[in-house]
Amino acid sequence: MNEAVPEPMTQNPVEKGCEERYFQALRAYLEGAGEQALGQAYELGRTTVSEGKGILEFVAMHHAALQKLLSDHTTAGDATQVLRHAEEFLVEGLSPYEMTHRGFSDAIASLRHLNQTLEHEIQKIAHAVHDEAGQLLVAVHLALAEVARDLPSSMRGHLEPVTGLLDQLEKQLRRLSHELRPTVLDDLGLVPAIRFLADRVSKRTGLVIPVITRLEDRLPRNIETAVYRIVQEALTNAARHSGARNVRIRLERVGRVLRCAIADDGAGFETSAVLASQPRKGLGLLGIQERLSAVGGTLKIRSILGKGTELLIELPLEE
Amino acid sequence: MAADEVRVAIKLGFSSGDITLIATAISELARNILSYARQGEILLRTVDGSNRTGILIVASDEGPGISDIRQALRDGFSTSGSLGMGLPGVRRLMDEFEITSEPMHGTTVKVKKWKQ
Repeated sequence: MNEAVPEPMTQNPVEKGCEERYFQALRAYLEGAGEQALGQAYELGRTTVSEGKGILEFVAMHHAALQKLLSDHTTAGDATQVLRHAEEFLVEGLSPYEMTHRGFSDAIASLRHLNQTLEHEIQKIAHAVHDEAGQLLVAVHLALAEVARDLPSSMRGHLEPVTGLLDQLEKQLRRLSHELRPTVLDDLGLVPAIRFLADRVSKRTGLVIPVITRLEDRLPRNIETAVYRIVQEALTNAARHSGARNVRIRLERVGRVLRCAIADDGAGFETSAVLASQPRKGLGLLGIQERLSAVGGTLKIRSILGKGTELLIELPLEE
Repeated sequence: MAADEVRVAIKLGFSSGDITLIATAISELARNILSYARQGEILLRTVDGSNRTGILIVASDEGPGISDIRQALRDGFSTSGSLGMGLPGVRRLMDEFEITSEPMHGTTVKVKKWKQ
């Protein structure tokens, strides 16, 4: 077997310089250097954070330094005291990590909020397109009918193409509004919306799309939206690229996890190649992953050339 | 950086977790003074709210001041590593945060943490 050389434990091992400085500062602190040494611990923590070093690497550096010091007889003395001071020093060095951790938590919260705002905006646009523009079109139809009534019958024929165009416009608006955000998702929830979507795609493409689920409850709105969008994207992919005849959608809730599997019997693909390539249209698999990570979910892709593709999505549900 | 300050916090009865956070805020404020104004001072005192006790930290310097405070309170998203550091970081660690600055005259940051 061609065993690869074992990877080093970390991708960016803390540089020697850093380790040496940490060791020196820790020794100084244990020898009673006080505040000044603690300041160095803090600075080192800040440096490693901004260099993108992980918290475990930092702890490993501490561990190595402490081990070296403990085996050194010059620091022999009250072991409990040495350990207590070493811990103070470590906490000081780790506190910049606490700060960035809070920063990232806030950033994630902002992203989630932004996502919700965007969905809300989309909903408003969908409403404007469907209801408001739709009503205007109805008014135009009525006005045209009135004009037609007043026209001599020989002229009425000229209005027919206009009515035909208006009908087309209405259909397009309805389709657009639905693609933006189906009202059934807000009114009836995820499962009816997915069934409705499957039905439409099936009619348009000839794919057979059974939706298998016993899920009845409404789920948090952001979850419903995310899953709906993912299924929408997956069906688009299956219809466009896979050449499948059947796509099976399964939705189930297992404890606090919502599971959704979308499996087709199409051509399949090389997962790594597809994930690496830039999507040409829409967001594709990348979009699915982004949507999922916004709600803390995961995506698994199993694809076998000539056999088909299965997307397995798992999302945590809060109690 | 903050052993004396920590003693004040211990005396007030803060939890050890909070004490670490307070010490971190002080370290960061001190660092800010050193890197922008070179010298300044950090004062600590206890504060009494209507039915709570807390610690007030005032970090002031007579450095060049901050011309755009909003910018200074924004996280450095440009470099991922620095996200959450500096004044935005201090603000997250504490319960209350107040900053005044006058270009050429210096900066004063007042932060409070209440005992849970």
